Amino acid sequence: MKKNGNLSVLTKGIFKENPVFILILGTCPTLATTTNVVGAFGMGIAALVVLLCSNVLISMLRSVIPDGVRIPCYITIIAGFVTMVQMAVQAFFPALYEMLGVYLALIVVNCIILGRAEMFASKNSVGKSALDGIGMGLGFTLALCAMATVREVFGAASFAGIAIPFLADYKIEFLVKAPGGMLVYGLLIALVCALTNGKGPKKKEFTCAGCPSAGYCKTGACQSKKEEA
Amino acid sequence: MKKSFKNTFVLGCICAVVSVILAFTNALTAPIIEKNESEKANAALSEVLPSGKSFTKLDITGQKLPSTVKEAYRAENGGYVLKLSTTGYAPGMVLMCGISPDGTVAGTKLIASGETPSIGGVAAESFAEKVLGKDASGIDGVDTVGGATKTTAAYRSAVKDALNAAILLGGGDVDIRTEEEILRDNLSAALPSAGGEFEKLFITEDIAGVDDVYKAKNETGFVCVIGEQFIALDMNGEVLSDTTDEIASVARAAMQLLLSTQTTDLTLTDYVGLPTQLISAKVTATGNYIIEIKGIGYGILGGNDYHPASGEYIVIRVSMTADGRIIDCLTVSQGETNGIGSACANESFYGQFDGKTEANYGDIEAIGGATVTTNGYKQAILRAFESVKIFEKGANQ
Repeated sequence: MKKNGNLSVLTKGIFKENPVFILILGTCPTLATTTNVVGAFGMGIAALVVLLCSNVLISMLRSVIPDGVRIPCYITIIAGFVTMVQMAVQAFFPALYEMLGVYLALIVVNCIILGRAEMFASKNSVGKSALDGIGMGLGFTLALCAMATVREVFGAASFAGIAIPFLADYKIEFLVKAPGGMLVYGLLIALVCALTNGKGPKKKEFTCAGCPSAGYCKTGACQSKKEEA
Repeated sequence: MKKSFKNTFVLGCICAVVSVILAFTNALTAPIIEKNESEKANAALSEVLPSGKSFTKLDITGQKLPSTVKEAYRAENGGYVLKLSTTGYAPGMVLMCGISPDGTVAGTKLIASGETPSIGGVAAESFAEKVLGKDASGIDGVDTVGGATKTTAAYRSAVKDALNAAILLGGGDVDIRTEEEILRDNLSAALPSAGGEFEKLFITEDIAGVDDVYKAKNETGFVCVIGEQFIALDMNGEVLSDTTDEIASVARAAMQLLLSTQTTDLTLTDYVGLPTQLISAKVTATGNYIIEIKGIGYGILGGNDYHPASGEYIVIRVSMTADGRIIDCLTVSQGETNGIGSACANESFYGQFDGKTEANYGDIEAIGGATVTTNGYKQAILRAFESVKIFEKGANQ
């Protein structure tokens, strides 16, 4: 793990290590909830809240949680926060709750949250973990919003539910469907790659140290397999 | 051992703490969520009863309501919303119907149906607008939407049920029996010993003044329908009901005629030029004819992938006077498309031929959507008229 300044911990999630476009995590909600901007923004914020809270709590408990049961502990904590967020959204934003449907509950198994808990919060101080959570959450939200903007504007001729009249006759309805989402996703990844000039974290930076299964598997086994292939 | 104890303990503690926090959150949000849900349900009800505020669901179990009514809601400021389930062209037609405090239709909405979207579905929409503002007496006058007779008929009767239900729920009284139920109740009232089981008698004699005769299935007597009156008679034709001498004598005379009827089978080969569809013919001692004849309907002529031809004729029994006036008509059997042409087996259809002659037998209401069946039926009736003319001419003429 590189030594990072607090600011870079916060900002890296937004662009350099954007969870959606660079780390390619949380693909399922990315495709499912980006048909409109409001839903994407709501999903992003909900994930941000869960990410921030779970990062802080897991970081606080990092010396208490035994290594052998850390994944069940993380899942319990994350599920607790997700359920709280779900209840709050259902109570105070019922329209958003209906829009997100099952994907709100599925934040529990969102790779970004579990990934950050495992890769960052369990090894860093509370403050840094909080900044990481905010950064990653914002990165997730921005990525979702960017994708939703493309899909909603060109696919449904509206932005955040407000109709764009001159586009109404040129809707590409395919974009709102799942395959269209996949296409937009791929194009945005390509764009981000072009902008970062391929300077995003290289695959080899995710060594066995960053793998949740590292403790249970023969260290280095998968890496050598990759090289063989 | 010590390690696994620690693992269990820490995980257990985390679970316990999370549970407590969740319980607390739930206690905080549950009432708000419940309020939201009921507001949403209210909004759906307001759609059909815009003036209604704060709906409460009524317990309708054990209440005397039309059987189509599944749920009922009362608005605090008056009016009802009924959820009804009925069968149109296909089963599973569910609609919401709002009834204003003044007893008129405030709005209807089809929430589920198996109707053909392009026909029944469209018809239901335009019909929903037509029923607005109608009350229980005005609903029958709403025009059916062409091409979707069954859908609109079901819609109309469901809305009528809703109107009646609103009257009943409001403490009023209304007759919600179907025509069949009314008839059965009337027959049972006239002849209680029949136990409610009657069959309609096929009339072969010209019994002026008597509309219909029903026989108790347990052979305890007959009921003559004379206008609005139901006159019970025993198996020997003696009048049991308390009525005027005039009506009693009409009923007695009719019954005597019917009980003393004797028929002779006619040998069809003795006659020249009879229609080939003729099955059998009888003549009564009084000179009336009883003819069974095959009608060529959709069961023979039709058939496509959806409604295959059954290969069955419509078998019609008709009795008529020697001068060619139909006394009674009955569909004995048929193989028409179920739910469409099969309506030719309903009394509402074949009963229309009673009293008709060759000059006016065509003036009947066709079966909706079953032109082939109706035409086949009419053609068979025409052939019955022709047969009687041939019988009247005499054998081998």
